[in-house]
Amino acid sequence: MKKVLMLAVASVFSAAALANAPAGSPAPAFTVTDLSGKSVNLADYKGKTVVLEWINFGCPFVQKHYKSGNMQSLQKKYGNDVVWLAVNSTNKGSSDWTDAPKLTKELKDFGAAPANYLVDEPGTVGRAYGAKTTPHMYIIDPSGKVVYNGAIDDKRSTDLADVKTAKNYVVAALDELKAGKPVSTASTTPYGCTIKYK
Amino acid sequence: MKPPRVLLALAFALALPAFAAPVVKTEHVEAQLLGERTHAQPGKPVTVGLRLQMIPHWHTYWRNPGDSGLPTRIKWTLPAGWTAGAIQWPHPQNLPIGPLNNFGYEDEVVLLTELTPPADAKPGTVPVQAAANWLVCKEVCIPEEGVLDLTLKVAAGDAGPNERWKPSFERARIMLPVKDASLKSDAGITGRNIVLRVAAPAGAGLPASATFFPDRDNVVEHAAPQRAVRVGDTLLVEMKLQDSAPKDLATLDGVLVAKGAWPGAGDRRAVELSAKVGSPIAMAAAGSAGGSSGGAASGRPGSSAEVDGSLGAALLFAFLGGLLLNLMPCVFPVLGIKVMGFVEHAHGEPGALRTQGLVFSVGVLVSFLVLAGLMLALRAGGTQLGWGFQLQSPAFVTILAVLFFVLALNLVGVFEWGLFAQSMTSDVSAKGRNADAFLAGVLATVVATPCTAPFMGAAVGFTLAQPAAVSLAVFAALGVGMALPVLLLSFFPALLRKLPKPGAWMETFKQVMAFPLFATVAWLAWVLGAQSGNDAILGLLLGLVVFAVAAWTYGRWAHSESVMRPVIVVLFAVLGLYVAWPDASARATPGALVTKAGELPWQAWSPEKVAELTAAGKPVFVDYTAAWCVTCQVNKRVVLNSSAIVEAFALRGIVPLKADWTNNDPRITESLKALGRNAIPVYALYLPGEAQPRLLPEVLTSSLVLAQVEQLPASAASKTAVTQR
Repeated sequence: MKKVLMLAVASVFSAAALANAPAGSPAPAFTVTDLSGKSVNLADYKGKTVVLEWINFGCPFVQKHYKSGNMQSLQKKYGNDVVWLAVNSTNKGSSDWTDAPKLTKELKDFGAAPANYLVDEPGTVGRAYGAKTTPHMYIIDPSGKVVYNGAIDDKRSTDLADVKTAKNYVVAALDELKAGKPVSTASTTPYGCTIKYK
Repeated sequence: MKPPRVLLALAFALALPAFAAPVVKTEHVEAQLLGERTHAQPGKPVTVGLRLQMIPHWHTYWRNPGDSGLPTRIKWTLPAGWTAGAIQWPHPQNLPIGPLNNFGYEDEVVLLTELTPPADAKPGTVPVQAAANWLVCKEVCIPEEGVLDLTLKVAAGDAGPNERWKPSFERARIMLPVKDASLKSDAGITGRNIVLRVAAPAGAGLPASATFFPDRDNVVEHAAPQRAVRVGDTLLVEMKLQDSAPKDLATLDGVLVAKGAWPGAGDRRAVELSAKVGSPIAMAAAGSAGGSSGGAASGRPGSSAEVDGSLGAALLFAFLGGLLLNLMPCVFPVLGIKVMGFVEHAHGEPGALRTQGLVFSVGVLVSFLVLAGLMLALRAGGTQLGWGFQLQSPAFVTILAVLFFVLALNLVGVFEWGLFAQSMTSDVSAKGRNADAFLAGVLATVVATPCTAPFMGAAVGFTLAQPAAVSLAVFAALGVGMALPVLLLSFFPALLRKLPKPGAWMETFKQVMAFPLFATVAWLAWVLGAQSGNDAILGLLLGLVVFAVAAWTYGRWAHSESVMRPVIVVLFAVLGLYVAWPDASARATPGALVTKAGELPWQAWSPEKVAELTAAGKPVFVDYTAAWCVTCQVNKRVVLNSSAIVEAFALRGIVPLKADWTNNDPRITESLKALGRNAIPVYALYLPGEAQPRLLPEVLTSSLVLAQVEQLPASAASKTAVTQR
């Protein structure tokens, strides 16, 4: 019986935990495949500002930013200065899992323009960064340091109308980076749907 | 975001009395506004409830939804002059999902709001409307909304309860946190942890364990396990801070939910706290043993529930463990001889036999409690100890070895004297026999320690995280279990008569019993060697030889009247102890890890080593072990050094580290504490991309270890490699 007790305690501790990549820490490197099955390495973008956007079109919080056109416009706003990587850590068993052809169509329908769409089905990248929600945003500066980790904006809701009035943290951070200034709000609490990890 | 399917059951609505309201049904939720009273009085607040009935396994959220999600919102449309208060939230529950945790409600929740009519409200009926929106989730989330209407009656005079919804309101009110001004709370930050301290007035009582739900979503790591420890009139809850927690946190606000009812709060379980953040608060010494509690624990809520709920089970298991101890090689000979003594007396006076059995049991119990009390006192004094601590002392190991050796010599017949021989002679006075029985109980407990510690160290150590009374109870249960067989035999001598009649076989039995004791001496010598090195073994063995001379002299000239006999005996005994005594400064050289072919390539553990390897993205396996821990040795030989495991580790590049706790090493104690343990064996598997190591159970099997290890890709064929850039 005591063993059962200990096992119960052990199981509590043994559940998979998240690492974290707090603002100010070096960005965990990764190699994953994109929608076309091509291998993508974070090191490929060394010397550039990289945005990581955790994405899942099945999530109403993500839909808020795509149906309002907010996310697409951000992806285009900074042109070639910023490499925008959408990362999907949804596991295959989830009802939100979508295969590559359908995802390609959805991206096209939304007019989304990330530089690349990464399929992190095992959730390795998500866990290494400690990504919690969709969306969850990270900005990596050209030196490879995480300079922003958190929410897309300050209005925790699924209401499309909130996009207009919200303060967008990612825009603020990217503008500051562009101006050569330090990021004033470097970490916030992300909001959204739980990432459907394996 | 499809429009909610609003089913206005018209006929039903028409038939409703004034305080009822139509039900709004969406795909996952049935929503309705309820009035608590039959009518509202002008100028006096009346409570209405938004009842959300979720379909099974779906949930809605608390005001802080946790790692994801969204709190339910209500926008009121009220008649002129009416005002609405804020939502009064029932306390939430943990809703773990994967590595994350949310706070919310399953099944049904009633969110209460106070509406206040103006003082000049006219009698009659008024419409109130709530536009509510909620996010309802199982694995996926659906935002839903509903516009809910309620017709409230306004009348003078006292309002009675609305009988139809009384149970729903009662349930909701039981779940409302209490604001108790007599509770003093504060909080302190140490490193990445925040400790909440709640003090109750003397005698008011506090729950043994509780879970804290923070109001703000950016303070506490929602999925990290919480540790709750109650020390007297203070309850401490240790939580992990979020990396993005505000640096200038002034107060820690939230709801503390007791495991059962909150003492003094009736049926209510939760209290509302606003704890001022001040200087760091140390977790209690008792807490260092780590009763993981509270628990979001990346999951399973209420790990403390298992702890509290199974006190009975812990007692039962301790009792069974005590029974089992009688069969251990270090105890059985002593008890066997005791029973032989009973056989002699079986035909004698039953009353005297009973008394002896009782006194023996008391001896066992007292010794267990003294030992446990001693350890608790030392721990309270701040010494980092786990059960099994006795065996970390080379001096204690030496004394045990000498004791077992002398007992064995006695049994094998080198000399005839001692506690056991006495009880076998019928001409000893009753008083003497009882003293002897008590001492036999003490001795049985002392000789049992090397057996209790290694086999039950982890479990007993775990109990120590509980309040002192609980751990003492568990030790008492252990003692009762151990004493019971002898006690039963003393009360039912008829059982003894089933044994062969006293005779020559008893002498043979006694002599045979010496060999398990010699074997125990051999094991203790090995333990000492691991602690203090090769020289210590030689010292011990030479000391034992000198002791043997003393014992032999004592036995050979048993009938001699010469003064020389006691002088020589004492001289040799003292000399033997002197020779055997371990050099306190001697320590076995750590890190002298020799890898044999076909075994895991163990490396010495250090916190720096773990940090370095995990930073390099390498999987690491840590074996917290000690020479005196028998379970550890069995696991190592049978499981960890088996070819299947060795191959699996090599294939996946897992680095095996050995943390050797044979001698007390504060760094290891500290590391165990961080893992929420205070006794070994402990096996920790650090995987890349996981901040916390996985802990394997204390008793390993190959399949269990392989199942954990095989989740890792083979290092050569790694598809998604994550390393620090």
